[in-house]
This record gives sequence, C-alpha cells and structure tokens, in this order.
Amino acid sequence: MPPVDIRLERIAKRFDHAVKGEVYAVREVSLAVAPGELLTLLGPSGCGKSTTLRMIAGFEQPDEGAILIGGRDVTRMLPNRRGIGFVFQNYALFPHLSVFENVAYGLRVQGRDEKTIVRSVEAVLDLVGLVHYGRQQPHQLSGGEQQRVALARAVVFEPQVLLFDEPLSNLDAKLRVEMREQIRALQKRVGITTVYVTHDQEEAMAISDRIAVMDKGSVVQEGTADELYYRPQSEFVARFIGRTNLVEARVVAADAVEVAGVPIAYAADVGVGTVVRLVVRPEMVELHAAAAGEPGVARVVQRTFLGERTDYQVALGGITLQVAASDQHRRSPFEIGQPVDLRFHAAGIHRLD
Amino acid sequence: MARARSPSWRGIAGDPALLGAVAAIWCLLLLLVLFPLAHLLERAFVDEGRPTLAPLLDSLADPGHRAAFVNSLILAASVGVLGTAVGFLFALAAVRAGLGRRWLTVLDAAVLLPLVSPPFTTSISIIFSFGPRGLISHHLLGLTGVSAYGFWSTAIAETLTYFPIAYLTLRPILAAIDPNLEEMAFSLGGSRWRTFRTVTLPLCVPGFANAFLLLFAASLADFATPLILAGNAFPVLPTQAYLQITGLFDFKGGAVLSLLLLVPAVMVFLLQRHWVGRRTYVTVTGKVGQRSRSQAIAPWMQVVLVAACVAVATIIVYFYALLLVASLVAAFGADYSFTWRHYAVIFTEGLPAIRDTLIIAALGMPLGGLYGVLVGYLIARRDFPGRRAMELVAMINYALPGTIVGIAYLIAFNDPPIALTGGALLIVACYVFRYSPTGIRATVALLQQIDRSIEEASASLGAASGETFRRVTLPLIAPAFFAGLGVVFIRSMTAISATIFLVSISWTLITVRILENMTEMALGPAAAFSVFVIVVVFVVVAGLSAVLARLRTPTAGAAARSFLGG
Repeated sequence: MPPVDIRLERIAKRFDHAVKGEVYAVREVSLAVAPGELLTLLGPSGCGKSTTLRMIAGFEQPDEGAILIGGRDVTRMLPNRRGIGFVFQNYALFPHLSVFENVAYGLRVQGRDEKTIVRSVEAVLDLVGLVHYGRQQPHQLSGGEQQRVALARAVVFEPQVLLFDEPLSNLDAKLRVEMREQIRALQKRVGITTVYVTHDQEEAMAISDRIAVMDKGSVVQEGTADELYYRPQSEFVARFIGRTNLVEARVVAADAVEVAGVPIAYAADVGVGTVVRLVVRPEMVELHAAAAGEPGVARVVQRTFLGERTDYQVALGGITLQVAASDQHRRSPFEIGQPVDLRFHAAGIHRLD
Repeated sequence: MARARSPSWRGIAGDPALLGAVAAIWCLLLLLVLFPLAHLLERAFVDEGRPTLAPLLDSLADPGHRAAFVNSLILAASVGVLGTAVGFLFALAAVRAGLGRRWLTVLDAAVLLPLVSPPFTTSISIIFSFGPRGLISHHLLGLTGVSAYGFWSTAIAETLTYFPIAYLTLRPILAAIDPNLEEMAFSLGGSRWRTFRTVTLPLCVPGFANAFLLLFAASLADFATPLILAGNAFPVLPTQAYLQITGLFDFKGGAVLSLLLLVPAVMVFLLQRHWVGRRTYVTVTGKVGQRSRSQAIAPWMQVVLVAACVAVATIIVYFYALLLVASLVAAFGADYSFTWRHYAVIFTEGLPAIRDTLIIAALGMPLGGLYGVLVGYLIARRDFPGRRAMELVAMINYALPGTIVGIAYLIAFNDPPIALTGGALLIVACYVFRYSPTGIRATVALLQQIDRSIEEASASLGAASGETFRRVTLPLIAPAFFAGLGVVFIRSMTAISATIFLVSISWTLITVRILENMTEMALGPAAAFSVFVIVVVFVVVAGLSAVLARLRTPTAGAAARSFLGG
C-alpha cells in the first residue's frame, strides 16, 4: 500500500473554559504532511499540538475546517474508520489482555484468521524486540517495553497513518534517546506517513523530516530542523529551539553592525543606522584571550564545565552573552573575570524581521 | 482545565444504542423510584384533591409519634457516637498496633460478620443472653424478672451491628496518615498523647464526621433491631410506621410517619454528600516510602487497644456461637439437649420462605449487577442531557430509609393501574433499585481509574463503540459487576425494612419468617434460619471473591472490598 498524504485545512477547535469562557485550543491550522514523511508538531504545553493530533485521529471533532487523509475527507468520520495507528503518552495498553492479545487487538477487530494474526503479531513483536514477551501481562513490563508494545499494536494492522502523542515523555532520558531511534528506524522501514507530537525540541530535531512549531493554537513556523535552528522567523521559535542570544544591533556599514559598541562583520541588508535584532547561537561565538594588558571587549562572568563543552557567560557592554566553547583540546579554560575578545561567525547569525 | 462543550441532544440522537439505554433507564427510574415516592407524598399531603398539611400536624400532635421521632434521633445519635468510637478503636488497632497479618485477618472477619448477617442476629443473641431466661442474666447471674428490652439493648445491638461501617470508613484514613508525620511531631518533643491529640485526631476529624453520619443514617433506618428489642417503652419511627400500617391498616398515618423519618435522613444524606464526602486532609501521592513501624502509640497502650478490640470481637463471636447453639438445642434457656429439629422445621414448613428468598435473590442478583454496571457506565463515561439528574435519582432509594421505600411501593403498586404488590417482581425491583447503587458506585470508581485513552486506543484500532464496550470496557468493569451482584444478593438474603411491606401469602422471605418466629417465641427456628442465611451468604461471597481473584484485572482488588462497604 503506497503511503498517503495528510492535509489539514484551516481547522479550529474551541473549548469552554471555566474562567476565560470560549477559548481556541487550535485556530486555523493548515498543514500538509507528504506521503511517507514524519512531521513533528512541536510546542510548549497548551499550544494545541495534542488537540490537533487528536482531531487527525478523530477523538476530537474540529469546529471548523477539514481533514483529508489520502485525499479523502475524514473530518466527520469516526476514529475506528480512519485506519490510524495511535501511540499514547501513557501507552494505553489494555490491562486485561496479554502482550500478544494487545498487539493482536486490531487484527481481531478486523476479523483476520488466526493464522494471519499469529504470524503478523509475532513478526511485529520481533520488529520491536519483544519476541518472547507475548504471554506477559502489561503490568509485568517496564515502561520502555510497554511503549514498544504500544508501538507494535499501532503498526501491526498496517494503518495508513501513524500518530504519536508525546510517546516518550514517561521514559528516562537514556531510554528516550534509544526509543526515538527505534521509532525513527521503524517509521523509515515501513514508510508510513507519521505525525509526532512532542514538547522536547531535541527529540523533534532528532526524529523529524519536518517540524511545525506551534504556539497558542497556531503553527508559527514550519521547516526542517536546520531551517528552524538557523533561520527562525520569530523570537518565539528562536528561543524555543536551542539556546539563543537575542541581541539588538545597530547597522554601522553595509557589512558591519555594532553590538553594545562592539563591531561585528555582518551584512544586515538594511540601511545604515537601522536597529536590528539578531539571533546568535552560543556556539557561533568564539572566545579569545585578550592581549596582555589590554582590557578586551568583554569579560567572563560565569563558567560551567559540561564535559563535551564549556558554557560561558560573558559581559559585553551592558548585555550578557552565552557562549558555548567546544574546543576542549585547549585544556586551558578562561577564568572568571578574565578579559576576552569575541569573534562572531557571520554564517551563524540570523536577523529577525 | 478546558472542558468539552456541553452535551447536545444531537449527540445522543445520533447514537441509537446510547439513546435506547438512557431511555430505558429513565423509564425504570420513573416507574420504580419517582412514581412510588410521588405516590407516598400525595397520600400524605393531598386530601380529596387539595394539598393539606393537616395529617402531618395531626401526627406531630400525637405525643406517641412525637416520642417516636425524638427517640429515633436519640437512638441514632447514640449509635453514631458509640459506633464511631468502637470503629475508631478497631481502626487504630488495625493500623497502629503493629499486628501481624494473621491477627488482622481474624480481626477483619469478626468485624465483617455483622455486615453479612440477617438483621436480627444480634437481637436474638441479646435476648438469649439477657432475656428473662437468658444465659447470662438468669443462668450466670441468677437474676429474675430482668428485661432485655428498651433503649440500651437496642443501642448496643445496633452499635455492634453497624460499627463495622465506621471501621471501614476510618481505617483507610488512619492508614493514609504518614507515620512520619506523627514521628516528626514526636521528635519535636511532644509526648505521645500530645502527638495523638494534636496530629492524629485532627487529621481524622472528617472521617469521624463521615462515620458518625453513616451510622446515624443506618440507625435511623434500622427497622429490625428496634422491632425486636425496643419494646413498647421505646417506640421509634420505623416500627411505629410499620405498626400503623400492619396493625391499624392506616396507610395515610404510616406514610406520614415514614416521612417524618425523611427529614433527618435527607439532612444527613446532604451533609454527608456535600460537606464531609468531599473533604479529606489526606493526600495520596502514590509514593510509598519506607513505612517504619509507627511509634506513635506506647507499647502498653497498644496492648490495651488490642485487648479492647479482642473483647468486642469476643462478644460478637460469642453472639454468633450462641446463635449456632440455639439452633441445635431443643429449647435454649430450658432444655439444652441436642437436636436437628429446628433445621427440620425450616426445611419443611419453612421451605417456601427459603425457596422464595433464593429465587428472589437469584433473580435480583444478575439484574442488579447489570443495572449497576450500565448506569455506572452511562454516568461515568457518556455525555447526555440529564446525566446528573440520573445519577441523583438512581441514588434515592439507596439513601432513603427502607421503611419509606417499602411504604411507598406498597401504596403505589397496591392498586391498578400497576398492581404488583404481593408478587416476586416487586420485591426483586425493590432490592435492585435499593441496593444496586453500590454497584453503580463501584463501576464509576473503576471507570475513573481507567484512562479514556484505553477506549480511544480501541477505537483507533478499528473497533466501533459497541465493540469497544464489549472487548475492553466490559472486561475491565467486570469486578464492579460482581461486586454489585454480591451486594444485591447479600441484601436480598438479609434485608427486611422495605420488603416486609411487600411480602404476601404467595411470596415471603426468610427474614420475615425470622421475625414471625421471634414474635411467636419460636427462637429455635429463628436461630436456625439465621444460621442458614449466614452460611449461604458466606458461601456466595466466597464464591464471588474467588471469581474476582481469577479475573486478574488490576482493579479487582478494590472491587472485592466494595462488597461489604455498601
């Protein structure tokens, strides 16, 4: 079965709020997920990402707009007719059924014959590495194992679309990394169109073909991880994805700006004298010890050793910049209070409009 | 937290299964809850088509009735205080005295025995012990001319019967108080007594209030104990209403008297529901840390506590042993020669009552179980107009004293258009609507533990709503079904307050026969009947517990406990 696409056309969902009255959980969201693509909805809690996902699944009905899966309008269709595999945050395994029966559930509902069921379930349990777990009860499994059962259950009946609702948020950090790689590998192998919801930007960047960042019920930017990181279109995206120095700069020449009195080589493409806002990622700033006896342009105020890199905060004029230094081979860190010079990599600086 | 928009009529109209179920439940509730109650009110307050308060005022003017009203309140308050105290004693011993698992089981068994017994057992044993020819009063102490009837014997019998309710209410509250809290106060330099007074007791206050109100309501509604023990000197409302109807055939007077009972009953119900029911200081975090053995109670005090509980438990066990002995000797108090005669009596001339009771219990059991699960599911999981009203109406017959329900049924169904009095159907209906709310509550509680996403998972896997209910919801609420079933069975075997108004020549009940035996002073058969009921209930409860244990769902344990909680 060739993968299908998903299209959301200006969907909106309202709720009655006890205090605020009618509020929009989702407003006018339009998205297109290409066949076989993994799109992540990323945003802080309450941004409407889960509600959007639940509308795709059919658990919630949009108040406005339309949802199309493979070109077919499913907006009013019951969830059980949509052919969707859903992986829940809390796994939602059937507590009264064994692992095997949990995975077999969708096939039994479809009325497949016993032989097919056994074959499919065993194949998919093998795929998620739980081949001998069929007779276990869900409560006998660890969190990671339960999540893999949930995954197996969602893919075994070959749904058209796979939906994940924060599937890894109940796992510990190490397992999370392992599981997201498994999910990604499985999704690639099956080539199934997938929408993935998370509030963890690192997870989103690791797993997605494309990310849609949501805030207050709307999609604020869509793009690849690279695009979102290096070319955020708003302060919100810049701050939400990765760490950011958001600095005000004055254009002093066609190819130079000034930050807190320090000139930086950067072509801002706007008239001299204009004040612009720049996104400067911490790893795009290099620290150099000021020449002996010189005051330097900035001063180190804090240092945090993190193993693979060292984070500094440096005072530059009236502002504080975050700097990430990964050149650990130098083994001679800057001292607090030490005067330093800065070098900015123009390629990593992005101007917000 | 945002809430989905209010349920629409369109939603329910689009789901024929839901519409059908809601309509059917409402028909039943209208016919078997609201219609009889309306009839009762009409009988009491409408005279020749005009509303009137005259019967009520007349009734209140009658000094006998006023005394019954006051007596009922005094009795209920006394039982509330005494029962809460005894229940707290047991709860404290169970939670804080460091008893082993086996000891706890024994304690639990002694405590729960009264809850599964027919209502007269304690009364019968008190008469055996303290009556004119009683084991203790006559044989042991050589007293003559003593009377076992009156306020004290009634209050004590009811306390022994109902204190388990207080125990079941208070024990989880005490257990949930982190011993660290007490140890903290203790380590701050307070004495044990001071810690107990300033930490433990205040944390239990909502529990005390709740236990008191539950016992107050139970005593207020109790019919069997005062009928046997209160005597003429201490009339109470339920017995007076009964005598008004069966003795004087004064339906109107009986209706008015039963409604006098309604006022305190409703007040207690509302207090319990809205004030204490939602108030608890104990928060459950789910994190069970190191539970060090509590040092909050001094070792010598623990011994005193356990001794007191053992004493009460011994009295209970003694009462039941007495019952067993009485059923096996020729004439208790006079002739102690062994005989099976009383059992021969109950299995010959008593057989119709046994047969009828078992038929009615067997009919009511599955119906009550299904009804409880269905209503509980609708209330907890579906959105439809009038959901809250349905929840409330479904609880009415459970909350009302049995005397009111019985008289309401008698008045409503005695005449056409719906003449059902005297038939098995009405008795079954009475039990189902009176005792299924336990099943409803168990179902609601279970469903609240089951995340909605489990049903959504089923839907996403292709199951329609009916199939999801069958494959997922039903197996998960099976424990509530069996719990509801068990409660209806137990009450069908042991209850009397409502159904005594509904029995007839063709359909009678064991409990009613026990009462008749008591009034005829045929104490042997009464004891034999009681033993029979206890054994049957015990066997059925054990069977259901075994079924629950085999269900293997994670929720079964909680449901098993709700058996007796109702």
